[in-house]
Amino acid sequence: MKVAVGDAIPPFRMERVTPERMKTVAAIYRDPTPLHWDREASRAIGFEGRLLNQSPINLGYVINMLMQWAGATCLRRIRTEFPQPVLDGDAALAGGRVVSLSREGDETLAECEVWLDREDGVRNLAARAWVALPEDTA
Amino acid sequence: MIPSEESMRALVGHRFAGGTYRIEHWENFLLSEATGIDPLPDGLAHPAHLFHVAINGVGTTITELFRLAESGPGAPVSIDHYDWRIRQPLREDETYVLAGGITDFARTAREGAPTRDSFTYEIEIDDTAGARVAEVAFCWHYWRIPGAGEAA
Repeated sequence: MKVAVGDAIPPFRMERVTPERMKTVAAIYRDPTPLHWDREASRAIGFEGRLLNQSPINLGYVINMLMQWAGATCLRRIRTEFPQPVLDGDAALAGGRVVSLSREGDETLAECEVWLDREDGVRNLAARAWVALPEDTA
Repeated sequence: MIPSEESMRALVGHRFAGGTYRIEHWENFLLSEATGIDPLPDGLAHPAHLFHVAINGVGTTITELFRLAESGPGAPVSIDHYDWRIRQPLREDETYVLAGGITDFARTAREGAPTRDSFTYEIEIDDTAGARVAEVAFCWHYWRIPGAGEAA
């Protein structure tokens, strides 16, 4: 099946963002920010003690969606902003659509508008991604 | 005490020490799992590694970035954007060579709002043969709120 401008990318859903995973990521990233593991720090800035997921992991959900769509080595570029945090206990749904197609060298690139939304529709992440398409879909 | 704009602007051009990074299987396994998927096949590393491979591999840390910006513990820091360009997929057990620094600064001060200092960081990741693997750019905002985590 050929990819066309306007096509929706099959979504990726993270059923529940957990504090345990945030702590693991904080250790791997050597990230001292207490908002990822200390509920008092979260409470102090108005998030009611809910921990804030690390932004690269939010981006990771979107990248998972792209890799499941176009392959594990498909990602060429992603530029992202994070309007709202993802909190522990949230479900997060990554989505996207193709906005343009171009040829670069021997690859067909799909420029995609991608996002990550909370279940209540709040947008956590908005990005542009450039993805190399498999030959049989380009 | 808000650091002077001049002292912050003087950080543009600062180069990190540079260094190398090797993604081990255990961290690829754990980071992939944290994003909700199994590790990728054939030793491929999840692209979400680009965040910490860039920062730690270039010879700095998140703590050091905060210190340079004179942002102490508890001071609010937010993200403007990340921009990751991938020339080759990341792999476990490959050694990567990193270089980079602080490339831009802007201070935003508006009536009735906290002063915001924005730093852009750019880091290049090469393989040991010198071929470009990825370019990582990110911009963080440091909010200067009196009494909130001022650096010692």
